[in-house]
Amino acid sequence: MTKVDIFSGFLGAGKTTLIKKLIEEAYKGEQLVLIENEFGEIAVDGGFLKDTGVQINQMAAGCICCTLVGDFGRALNQVIEQYHPERILIEPSGVGKLSDVIIAVQDLHNDQIQLNGFTTVVDAKKCKMYMKNFGEFFDNQVENASSIILSHVDGLSQEKLDQCVELLRQHNQSASIVTTPWDQISGEKILETMEQKKTLSAELDRLREEAYAEEAEHEHEHGHEHEHHHDHDHEEHEHEHHHDHDHEDHDHDHEHEHHHHHHHDHDGHHHADEVFEDFGVETTHKFTKEQIQTALEGLQNFAEVGQVLRAKGIVEGEDGQWIHFDYVPGEPDVRNGSAEATGMICVIGAGLEEDRIRELFGL
Amino acid sequence: MEIPVYLFTGFLESGKTTFIQDALEGDDFNAGERTLFLLCEEGEEEYHPSRFFGTNVFFETIENEEDLTESNLKKLQEKHKVERVIVEYNGMWGLDSLYQAMPEEWMTYQEMMFADATTFLTFNENMRQLVFDKLKSAEIVVFNRCVRGGFDKMAFHKIVRVANRKNQILYEYGPDDVEMDNIQDPLPYDMNAPVITVKDDAYAEWYRDINENQDKYDGKVIHIKGRAVVGDEMPEDNFVFGRHVMTCCVQDIQFAGLVCKWTKEAAKFENGQWVIITAKVKVESDPIYAGDIGPVLYCTKVTKTEPADPEVATF
Repeated sequence: MTKVDIFSGFLGAGKTTLIKKLIEEAYKGEQLVLIENEFGEIAVDGGFLKDTGVQINQMAAGCICCTLVGDFGRALNQVIEQYHPERILIEPSGVGKLSDVIIAVQDLHNDQIQLNGFTTVVDAKKCKMYMKNFGEFFDNQVENASSIILSHVDGLSQEKLDQCVELLRQHNQSASIVTTPWDQISGEKILETMEQKKTLSAELDRLREEAYAEEAEHEHEHGHEHEHHHDHDHEEHEHEHHHDHDHEDHDHDHEHEHHHHHHHDHDGHHHADEVFEDFGVETTHKFTKEQIQTALEGLQNFAEVGQVLRAKGIVEGEDGQWIHFDYVPGEPDVRNGSAEATGMICVIGAGLEEDRIRELFGL
Repeated sequence: MEIPVYLFTGFLESGKTTFIQDALEGDDFNAGERTLFLLCEEGEEEYHPSRFFGTNVFFETIENEEDLTESNLKKLQEKHKVERVIVEYNGMWGLDSLYQAMPEEWMTYQEMMFADATTFLTFNENMRQLVFDKLKSAEIVVFNRCVRGGFDKMAFHKIVRVANRKNQILYEYGPDDVEMDNIQDPLPYDMNAPVITVKDDAYAEWYRDINENQDKYDGKVIHIKGRAVVGDEMPEDNFVFGRHVMTCCVQDIQFAGLVCKWTKEAAKFENGQWVIITAKVKVESDPIYAGDIGPVLYCTKVTKTEPADPEVATF
């Protein structure tokens, strides 16, 4: 099986620089083939890749009018035949539609290919201008991306960065977005984000698991273990009914309801009253440790914010160092740690007052 | 009434807005004529109409290429009762979209293309057709952000010259530091040799030059490789000698050939046979040129040969 990763983005966005970084830091030891259909400013040349064992196939058609499909399909099949690589990176022309490339790969119906990621590199400084003037192909690259990686973020004002992320979100709700300057973050971290292993929803899921696990342990400590188990099985039946019912109502519920019921079904072992809400937000804002400390203290005020069981986050510090924090009631922990793809704050609890929590973090 | 059109082309951030703003601030270009300003692109730079010398400039934004229609443009012209038009064009749109939509009385008075020298080569490699499209009809091409001694002028010059042999090329190094391109383009063969020998990789240039400057070749003897096209309604001792030429990219490959006169042997060639010919050029009218005057090659020698490599001729 060969994973196929596609890297789109307009000329000069930094696709080649990103690919270089990923080859050096994230794809180590993998057998790779890079198919380039663009003539970059920085060529990924043999010299740099000699030691990495990466095979480069450059396709001659770097021109908007030259049809991608025929030659491209042939080249891709040939590469798989010849090298049986674990992964193929495709860098298509920066002025093409991403969906055209995806469709071209799908249309090969090659069962050895697994379409893995559609990454679009966007120059944060030029995003707005490009979106306004380029029209279709640029929107297409953003809309079809599974992850969007911002380049040239350094030196951009917070306001402009917020604007850029918002603009991208208008065109793509679900893609994971990397907002951290590339020199502050490892290729491995970028890849994690590209492959959706470290996204906001994944983090919320993990945190919720922790909360559930602790709840379970809590019960465990309180004894009546066996009895409980029986009860539990019994309840699970009831629970199914309960669930069905909820499901019908589902459209009327809000997102959070959806979240926790959905999750509940997966686990199947929790009482209805153990169901938690979550609140998660991605942010590119910069914080100080003191600010986070104060915010976490504020989370203890359940009359204001609801009952917070857990909170966790990684945000960029004003000093450029990243701040990691964990919170369980009464135990805030704030420290410095490694940079992430983008800042995120996750809170799990019951009766959460989102607006108040946002305020605490100044969002 | 004739409406002059001043057309400014080039990609985003190529310096169009800055240039037009300056021009409109001066009284030589803007003495107050009622002007329709068609804005087809909105970059970082913005216009400051308050600093314009004349005040009668009416801005209209064209958001989509499809909105360029004759009736739309006519409507805008009438709405503002303008005497002239300035267009800041969108670099990603084909120029034909504008030309085809221009009302009859609109006349292009000047077309200028701007390019950022720091991105031009990359853009040209990856968006050849769009770049070529703008170079082709521009009277002046301005390269901004050039670094004296820090860039390969010849690379820029060659790209422009393939698309347009006559336009003026300017290199801008900074404010008021502009150099005019005066690079001569010597032909890759000796025009004064008793027999002009054209190498395989010079075919495209030769073909263009003999068509643009046919009198220069009248009476000259040429030695050159190409293909013989025979048949149709051609006389038995005629064939068309030519090669496929690519100007911009694979989509514009065309057979580019001239009429040859030889013996009846010509009819025996297989269509498309590669040949080397030695021929004297006579500029005269010919039925194959639909009665027009053109270079006709009178062959003294024609021999079969192997195909040129690559078969398609380029500049």
